[in-house]
Amino acid sequence: MRAQLLHEILPAAAADGAPLLEIHDIHLAFAGVKAIDGVSLTVHRGEVFAVIGPNGAGKTSIFNCVSGVYHPQRGSISFEGRDLLGMRPDRVADLGVARTFQNIELFPQLTVLDNLMLGRHQHLHYGTPAAMLRIGKAAREEARNRAVVEGIVEFLDIQQHRKSFVAMLPYGIQKRVELGRALAMAPRLLLLDEPTAGMNLEETEDMARFITDIRRELRIGIVLVDHDMHLVMDLADTVLAIDFGRPIAVGTPHEIQSNQDVIRAYLGQEHAVADPGGSA
Amino acid sequence: MTTTLPQTGTVSPASRLRDFAARTPDAIALREKSRGIWREFTWAQFWDQAETFAHALLAHDIGRGDRVAIHSDNRPEWLFTDLGSLAAGAACMGLYPTNPTAEVEYLLNNSGSRLLIVEDEEQADKALAVPTSDLPMLERIIYLEHRGVDAYDDPRLMSWDAFMEAGQAHRTAHPEAVAVRMAEAKPEDLAYLVYTSGTTGPPKGSMITLANLDFATREIAGDEGIVQPGPGPDDLIVSYLPLCHIYEKLFSVVFNTGAGVPIHFGESLDTLVTDMRDVQPTIVQGVPRIWERIHAAIQVRLASASRLKRINAAIWMTSARYVGNTLVRREGRHTLLSRGLTQIGNLFLFRSLKDRVGLRRVRYGVSAAAPIAPEILQFFMSIGVPLYEAYGMTENCGVATTNRPGRVKLGTVGEPYSGCELRLDPETGEILTRHPAVFAGYWNMAEATARTIDSEGWLHTGDVGEWVDGTHVKIIDRIKDIIITSGGKNVSPSEIENTLKTSPFIKEAIIIGDRRKFLTALIGIDFEVASEWAQRHKIPHTTYRDLSEKPEVVKLVQKAVDAANEKFARVEQIKSFRLLTKELDHEEGELTATQKVKRSVIEKKFSDMIESMYR
Repeated sequence: MRAQLLHEILPAAAADGAPLLEIHDIHLAFAGVKAIDGVSLTVHRGEVFAVIGPNGAGKTSIFNCVSGVYHPQRGSISFEGRDLLGMRPDRVADLGVARTFQNIELFPQLTVLDNLMLGRHQHLHYGTPAAMLRIGKAAREEARNRAVVEGIVEFLDIQQHRKSFVAMLPYGIQKRVELGRALAMAPRLLLLDEPTAGMNLEETEDMARFITDIRRELRIGIVLVDHDMHLVMDLADTVLAIDFGRPIAVGTPHEIQSNQDVIRAYLGQEHAVADPGGSA
Repeated sequence: MTTTLPQTGTVSPASRLRDFAARTPDAIALREKSRGIWREFTWAQFWDQAETFAHALLAHDIGRGDRVAIHSDNRPEWLFTDLGSLAAGAACMGLYPTNPTAEVEYLLNNSGSRLLIVEDEEQADKALAVPTSDLPMLERIIYLEHRGVDAYDDPRLMSWDAFMEAGQAHRTAHPEAVAVRMAEAKPEDLAYLVYTSGTTGPPKGSMITLANLDFATREIAGDEGIVQPGPGPDDLIVSYLPLCHIYEKLFSVVFNTGAGVPIHFGESLDTLVTDMRDVQPTIVQGVPRIWERIHAAIQVRLASASRLKRINAAIWMTSARYVGNTLVRREGRHTLLSRGLTQIGNLFLFRSLKDRVGLRRVRYGVSAAAPIAPEILQFFMSIGVPLYEAYGMTENCGVATTNRPGRVKLGTVGEPYSGCELRLDPETGEILTRHPAVFAGYWNMAEATARTIDSEGWLHTGDVGEWVDGTHVKIIDRIKDIIITSGGKNVSPSEIENTLKTSPFIKEAIIIGDRRKFLTALIGIDFEVASEWAQRHKIPHTTYRDLSEKPEVVKLVQKAVDAANEKFARVEQIKSFRLLTKELDHEEGELTATQKVKRSVIEKKFSDMIESMYR
């Protein structure tokens, strides 16, 4: 039987390239330490948007602001026109924003299938009694959601690990499972925090292929934070470089690659900071 | 097995399939695990797909005298292609999924294939990497998986669905076209081109005819065949060896279309153990490497079990050794005591052990394609898995000899099939076979054919053998592999290699010693098993190379070598060995597509290592 394409199991976005996520001039400080200092960006449907920068530049903090873990003191964040500021993480997830974490955040004592089924949590619409008895709507929904999860298992080629406990799996496979859980949420925006950190070459290539396929088959927006410059340059349409929480440059991978400020930031030298708010 | 349908043309796997579809349309012919669920194809559905494929070929003006190639892992579409091609009168040629681009180009051109089925982007990329002008015969590339390939714009590409739609349209317009082609079939028609992977020289295409297949079907899958009582719809087979190889063809095609045994396709090679556990097949075909690995997995499982379980296992494995010795002595027949011990052992250990590896219901297991160590066979027999060694090759359609229930002689490949003439060349001891399944020759290689089949129709197998008790055949080795030491002694390397490989820690063993004073060995460890052992003994390690270089691991292998040496005469003992620092690989030319070691390549590649043992 032919493998399903992602848009056959998950809702795909319209190919209109409309703005999806708009961040305008956000500022985040912890007890006086500025983590984000005036970052703005716009991610469109079907776009892979990469955020790069040295360690501690504030990349993950941006993700945490979007997903509702942190609340920036200033600025605005909107998703499909809805204001995300001050929203709880679960509400943000309900709206269609899914993420993965730098340090894998799965349930290690559950199986791969159970972790993925948890990703379907917000798509389950039955009550506790039905769930306990596994009857009627509960049984039907369970089967429907399992079918989605099986499609994701097939996509990620992790059939052999289906019933393994996550804690027992190699790191590279855990990363895949985490991507799978984010996909299971049927997101319209996917935030990937260092999806290839700590991976070998083969695992990195696999992950790059998954991201390419997700973009092509679902046309959702993808925001990518990564250290691996090659990966970012291969995958991203737009790259934003930041350092010390401040934007340095934004542009196509090619433009960023040849930007002197970006090069200096990576080498740890002094550099200019782009006009906040004026970019992206 | 009788049929009431009118027979038209020559019997072929396609006509047998059609007859099953007419006789038992709703019985299960195939199962495929996809997205976690076993999905079924009835005989009617199977034939519908194969016939539609045949119509699609005819719609593209491909039929008698043409070749259709397929480059895919085992899956139902492989069989639709195979049997659909036969129904249309075309021959089918399979490529190994591991074949790299250069070999794909050679095989497509050498076979003159007009149509190629590719599984997915990976296989499509290999064919597309060859400039169009270098594949002059190839007209169409049909792809099964859409991911990635959909975006390509090569005009030769077409999706499987679109191809089958063309077949549907052709069937509507010409409903009898396939039946007409099948009626035209002749026994001497080419059915398959099976490329032998060749440990030397470029691959040669063996021509397998419909007559070859018909004979093989009756000898192997008939009521008087190798499985007793005869195989049927209640049996279960898992298809997992490469389908382009004659060995898997005998099981996935011949047992299926010849005896109606349902064939099962798992999710992937990586899930084989789970798939076997799901299906619990009754007939299991395996190469020695597979049996060795299952053996190793069982040993590891027993060794790493809890204390109580280990005690239980020790008791019953001791009993199993007695049962194994009894069975070997009595050619596979039980005594009252050995049968009783096996049955009680089943309750305490064997049943659950076999269940874990998917061998609980096996009534016929076979090891072929390469020599296996008798210790492995005896192990499986002792825990109640009836495992028989058989012998055959592509050039005789896999039909030569087999051990049969109750007539097992360990260390032999059994007795010739009833319709198979077999003799030994009086001078060289080479095994010669003659019967209707001897192939029609090598494709476009008259000279090579003449060297292989003599004027009296005897096939020269290239294997040296000897008779045991006048009934069974023992294989000494490939003629060209036999080592003659500088002392003039003839040594068969494979016997020593297989003895080494009975150690769960040893995956590869290559004996060196031709024209040398003594024997040495290159040994590759089984990374999984050795790594598990190392973890248990708290030996930190990272890669294959790192683990191979650990002194503890070298010592472990030394023990296995010492144990093997005890079984052989002085000239056959290994004086020194080195551990390979990488796993051997098909793509790097060290193994053939069927995972056989290419000695010449190894000896060249590791010459420094070899020379260091003779200094």
